[in-house]
Amino acid sequence: MSDVVLAEGEHDALVALVIRGMARGEVSAQQQALADAGLILIKGPIMMPTPVGTAFVAESLRLPEQAPERERVMATFHRFLPVNRALRDLCTAWQVRPDGSVNDHSDENYDADIRDRLDDIDDSVAPLLKRFSEDLPRMAGYREKLTEALAKLDEGDDTWLASPLIDSYHTVWMHLHQELILTIGMTRKEDEELEERLVAESGA
Amino acid sequence: MSPTSRTGPIDDVGLVPFGSGLQRGLDARSLCTRGVERETLAGLGLPVGAGLTIPVPNVPGFTSPDRAKAAMNLVEDIAGREISSTTETGGLVLLRLSASAPVAAAGLPPDLTCLGLKRSVIPEGLGPKARGELGAAWWKTAAFIAEHALGVPIEDLGSLDFDYPDLVERVEPFRRLCEEKGSSPFPTKRSEQVAAAAQAMLARWNSPRAARARRKQNLPADLPLALHLETIVVTEHDAEGHGFAMSRDMDSGQFAPNGLFRHGFRAGGERQQIGHPLSKLPNGVEMLTGVLAELEGRLCSSVIVDFEFGPEGLALVGLEQMRKPNARVATSLVVDLVTRGISSEIDAVRAVESTHVLELLHPQPKLTGADVPFVSGLAASPGAAVGRIAITSESAVDMAESGDSVLLVMSETTPGDLPGMMAATGIMTINGGSASHAAVVARGMGRPAICGAGDLRIDHEAQTLTAGAHVLHAGDVISIDGASGVAYVGELIIEPPTPSPSLTALLGWADDLRRMGVRANADNGADAAIAMDSGAEGIGLCRTEHQFMGDRLPLVRRVILSHDFDAEAAALAALADAQREDFRDLLRAVGDRPVTVRLLDAPMHEFLPASAELAEDANQARMLEHMHEENPMLGVRGVRLALMHEGLYPAQVEGLFNAWVDVVSAGDAHPELEVMIPLVSIPDELLMMLRLIRRVNQEVSSRSGMVIPFKIGTMVETPRAALLADQLAQWAEFISFGTNDLTQLTYGFSRDDVERRMLGTYLSKGLMTASPFAELDESGVGALMSYAVDKARSVRPDIKLGICGEHGGDPSSIEICERLGLDYVSCSPSRIPVARLAAAHARVGSVNSVNSVNIAPGAVERSGSGS
Repeated sequence: MSDVVLAEGEHDALVALVIRGMARGEVSAQQQALADAGLILIKGPIMMPTPVGTAFVAESLRLPEQAPERERVMATFHRFLPVNRALRDLCTAWQVRPDGSVNDHSDENYDADIRDRLDDIDDSVAPLLKRFSEDLPRMAGYREKLTEALAKLDEGDDTWLASPLIDSYHTVWMHLHQELILTIGMTRKEDEELEERLVAESGA
Repeated sequence: MSPTSRTGPIDDVGLVPFGSGLQRGLDARSLCTRGVERETLAGLGLPVGAGLTIPVPNVPGFTSPDRAKAAMNLVEDIAGREISSTTETGGLVLLRLSASAPVAAAGLPPDLTCLGLKRSVIPEGLGPKARGELGAAWWKTAAFIAEHALGVPIEDLGSLDFDYPDLVERVEPFRRLCEEKGSSPFPTKRSEQVAAAAQAMLARWNSPRAARARRKQNLPADLPLALHLETIVVTEHDAEGHGFAMSRDMDSGQFAPNGLFRHGFRAGGERQQIGHPLSKLPNGVEMLTGVLAELEGRLCSSVIVDFEFGPEGLALVGLEQMRKPNARVATSLVVDLVTRGISSEIDAVRAVESTHVLELLHPQPKLTGADVPFVSGLAASPGAAVGRIAITSESAVDMAESGDSVLLVMSETTPGDLPGMMAATGIMTINGGSASHAAVVARGMGRPAICGAGDLRIDHEAQTLTAGAHVLHAGDVISIDGASGVAYVGELIIEPPTPSPSLTALLGWADDLRRMGVRANADNGADAAIAMDSGAEGIGLCRTEHQFMGDRLPLVRRVILSHDFDAEAAALAALADAQREDFRDLLRAVGDRPVTVRLLDAPMHEFLPASAELAEDANQARMLEHMHEENPMLGVRGVRLALMHEGLYPAQVEGLFNAWVDVVSAGDAHPELEVMIPLVSIPDELLMMLRLIRRVNQEVSSRSGMVIPFKIGTMVETPRAALLADQLAQWAEFISFGTNDLTQLTYGFSRDDVERRMLGTYLSKGLMTASPFAELDESGVGALMSYAVDKARSVRPDIKLGICGEHGGDPSSIEICERLGLDYVSCSPSRIPVARLAAAHARVGSVNSVNSVNIAPGAVERSGSGS
């Protein structure tokens, strides 16, 4: 794998595809080059990374153990995980009311409260994104994407909070989280266990 | 009450200790929701905590330290304790300031706790846990005051949080930050801090964020606030704590007080979802049980109370009525209220939304006792699914592309697995809870899901799934129930569950209130049995074409495509025998109820071979080419086909009458037969069919020696039939409106094309508010129906009129049917409970409808079982 050399644009395109899982639409020159290199798979209108492409990205994003910024990134990540839990809980509340029934969005008070609480989460993640970006310039784009999703949500289209099919707040956040996990080099399971522990500590 | 319904100016009413507001004539306009909660709780004669409300008119003045001081003094008097003093159990007495509006409102400022702390006076007795919680709560309060009352930038406060993780070390930089960037230094006196906290709350309530929240709820921009100041005890003594209690179990809906409590003090306004069950409360749960039952009775609502407890006992500090309880809770509550004699049956029926019933009847696997549970986890997204196991996103996509129903089973999902999740009909993960990626995405896509099936192991090399003793392979079939969180080995039948006793009672009351009958559309014995179990009063539509698919298809093809009389006769005889068997099952399931059998109505292309190459022989192939239709839906269909192949309908009714003889002579049942002719537009079409059918009836009767009573009727699916309903009624003893076709033909819409390509645009442009195929179009299609109803009844006053399109299960359409005066609606078996309730709502009104016929309960009559 180490013998694969990618142009910068190609690398970014591959990272984006691995983090998103798939893309639709016209195949760009970069994507075609990635497909030719066996890093992505083009299936009709859908593009997906191959296992080789996924492993390549995991290796290229991962911060080495001795990287000077690693400690700071980890410290910020420890702060991120409880906020991550809060966001996931909020998205759950957006879809399912506390009594287990589906939120049909007919209760304006309930929905307005969730939107209001999203501001607390966005306020909490803002300084964390700033810190991440100082050490990992790749992360700078997430702030803008989250703000875009918020703006679309406030224009009245509720799908911009949690719909998995568009770059909703939840979708962008999950991409952010996935990129952090790859950067740190954790498995999802390790990440979830760490989050569980941190949430328990902060809530005890 | 409405926040805008002020009847007059509200005067300065001073400070209002909890529980003294109602006697002073105050209501939600000045006390706001939290003040009223305390009044309601105090009305039960229970302790409600030591505190007071600063009512709406007095809030602006409260931002002065003098007023704040006066309020603090009064709270001390009420509590009989000094702020910052230590209790007998070593707790520290402090203050909580909270805000509420005259109506439930989002965007309220957060509760501010730990006000009234004397600098550096933290009692020695306070343990490390209480100190930690006190510090965290103090920081939240201080940062909120700094941001909103002093204007310190939030980014700077966020940096402090980072740079000084230790709270004690953070205090000094915080004071300096306030001095440098705030409009004034952080207040040092306790009364100044309370006043600044009030000021911060008002500033936050006037922020763009809170304004947006009010806009989203259509609340007035100038909605006022009341403030509430009360004591809290910062403690870590085992005898002190706080929690919440809900009156009902959210899964069963039944009255079963449950909740959580924690030791220590309540630092924020939000309910903590971690804690001990109420059964472990030091003084037991009896008192809470009594309180919750009393509150439910008074408020006619399921409730949640917040409580605090200490050595003195329990105090109730919050009350929430569940505005939108789930269907289980809503149904169980209204039935309990009737049982307790608090409300009437008609109130109960009105209170439950008809579509809510569907939630109670989410499809679930039909368990036989022989099912093999595979593994269980969290019920993360409701619904049930059956499919082949895929253990990677890629394989899920591949398997779905080859036409398989797929269940994606993974350790956990990431955004990268979206393609597989979209391809799957259901999802199961080993890790993660109900807020995990898999759960959130599954609910977003409406897929059933089980998460956190911790006993499951996936071996990617061996392509196996192991749970306990079970080993399955990728590609094996499993069934998952997202409502119970259990996965089963193999394919289970998915069907609606048995209604709960509460739902059964409620639907029974609805039956007593409705006028219209409710029947089911069912084509075979199994569906009919489900429909009868769900309370259907008969079959309103049995589509015989569904019996012609599969191995019967060649018979029908031979009838239609045959080139000689003998071949057609042989095929017809075989058809009559096959139908006899089908109808026997159906009639047994129907029992003594009416059953409307619609003779063959499918468009030709649904049962002819798609091309001449698939014909049985050259003659068939020639016929096929000859019979090709440009528009089969408007082609040789229904009665038209029967007139061209005159043996077809007689063969069907021969099967039907013979089946009736079979079940009646066996003593199994005595169904009321109704034979329905489809797609009639010329009254004589009906007459000709009537003559043919009577002849067969007489033949079967004389052969069997039994009189076989039957009614003949017609569908009204074409505008011409609607316009000539009086002529049809000369022969027809009943008419059933086929509103799918009638809607297509009235609009000139081809349903599939219009729904796929045009409807979205029409809805977004406001030309339509709903698909006319989902909600009956009252002004157009409804007008034709109304005309037909009048015409038909003018000729035959006792003619029975019904509807059998999909509209028969749609509440708004059912309401229109009530207005049109139809005798019954017929819908799919799964919608029967909805239709029973909706038909009652159409008669007596509901929480959601205001247009329905308003009559006194005593005047309610129903036309019986639709017969």
